[in-house]
Amino acid sequence: MFNTSEVYVVAHSLVPGSRHYEKGLKELFAEAFLKVLDQVGNANLGAIYVANAFSEVLQDQGVLGAFLSDYVGMRRIPAIRIESGDGSSGVAILEAYNTVRAGIYDCVAVVGVEKMHDVVNIKLNKALATITDYEYEGFFGVTPAAQAAMAMREYMLKYGYDYEDLATWPIKMHERGSKNPLAYMKKQASLKDVLESEVVADPLRLYDVAPAVDGSAAVILCNKPVKSDAAIRIDGIGIGAYGTYTGQRDSLTELLSVRDATNMALRTAHVSIGDIRIAEVHDTYSILGMLSLESMGLVRPGETPRLLSTGALDAGNKLVVNASGGLKSMGFPGGASGMYELALMVMELMNIKPFESLGKAELGVVQDMAGFDLVSTSVVLRRVS
Amino acid sequence: MVDQRLSVPRYWRRMPQYYRLEGVQCIKCGRVYFPPRAVCECGSREFKPYPLPSTGKLINFTVLYSVPAEFEKMKPLIMGMVDLGGVKVIGQIVDCMDPEKLSPGIDVEVVFRMVKMDSTYGLINYGYKFRPINNC
Repeated sequence: MFNTSEVYVVAHSLVPGSRHYEKGLKELFAEAFLKVLDQVGNANLGAIYVANAFSEVLQDQGVLGAFLSDYVGMRRIPAIRIESGDGSSGVAILEAYNTVRAGIYDCVAVVGVEKMHDVVNIKLNKALATITDYEYEGFFGVTPAAQAAMAMREYMLKYGYDYEDLATWPIKMHERGSKNPLAYMKKQASLKDVLESEVVADPLRLYDVAPAVDGSAAVILCNKPVKSDAAIRIDGIGIGAYGTYTGQRDSLTELLSVRDATNMALRTAHVSIGDIRIAEVHDTYSILGMLSLESMGLVRPGETPRLLSTGALDAGNKLVVNASGGLKSMGFPGGASGMYELALMVMELMNIKPFESLGKAELGVVQDMAGFDLVSTSVVLRRVS
Repeated sequence: MVDQRLSVPRYWRRMPQYYRLEGVQCIKCGRVYFPPRAVCECGSREFKPYPLPSTGKLINFTVLYSVPAEFEKMKPLIMGMVDLGGVKVIGQIVDCMDPEKLSPGIDVEVVFRMVKMDSTYGLINYGYKFRPINNC
């Protein structure tokens, strides 16, 4: 048996997502990274893991890690870039966690960074199409939005929902976002706003789509906590894969990689899904947020719209989903999305502003996913005092 | 006509699939795959070409208004999931002026169309699309 270390999240930060026209990848990275570095003082970092999905397409930049670490004066620290589409962050967290757990490094940083607004929308769509099977999907114009739309149609038919029933997701996420100063979308949305928003890919509307933002978020993972009060420990982590051509799926309403990732994370954390009190899920499209919850086992299949509308997933209940407002409110920073979810989860577990009202939740889960059910990760975090 | 500088071999090596919807059938267990793959679910690595039938049924679709750069002038695109003899293929639905008339279960046929054009002097890529058999 190997001796393994415990892994703690000792620092976290995020640059609120926005159209940061004045900042490039390097500035965004530095802003999030230097904040976590300052929180721990002398961290003695062994490596930096960089989660980024599209720098080749959007910034013509390869070997990203090298230039980012140099920019923050750490050119001799290996900065390892992880690309797994919009699920890059989860994989970067997993890799970073493994090196600390295995005792290779005492401390590592994980930084998600993405600069979505260096190109116009049609070019961004082209970049997003790279997270489909490009030869047989992207080539013909299939985009992640088209896949999500078909999943939404299948879900509505399968469980007998109207579009209005599913509109509860964006409404609830906007409501949470309106109370979160870190959110990109801070405005409440009414049913009328959602129903009158433009159609992106029928039945999917603009309000179902997490808005693309530039952003960066970071954590430092160490084998011991820096402070003794309210430390956050990673108790379990899991990865699941189900990459395939969309046509080869039996169903578009079950995310098998999400299911496997979550089961693995729960198993390694020695907890059951019923123990989870707060969750941050990857809602790039509202339907994917709902399917993720159901595939994780947090909500029974087909139940999410009903539970959301009754307020059963709001703060004050046994399970709180996307207290931050999710990617819908925080914005969608491509491969950095999962790092936002992780940083927010740490704040939620620690009851840091603006999440003081969440109460003392002990266990939370963060779910990240690449494309449509291609590669997913789940991280179980525990607050230990 | 956005300048893509598309690679020629990258396109012509897929002609059997783009032009004839050629999938593969496992010699051991008979499973059919589109797109082709190297190893079957049963573990076998031996396949023979298997052209998919040219008619099938629509099973799911969406009208896509936000498209990648090279499709900007063709939007909106109707993207459909089509069942061709038990194999599901995702692609564009064309010759349908009124998408309201589309519904899961209608009959469609495979047609051969231009997919994208690479600027003024570049490559023109062709491939399969699907058309409702009864007027749409």
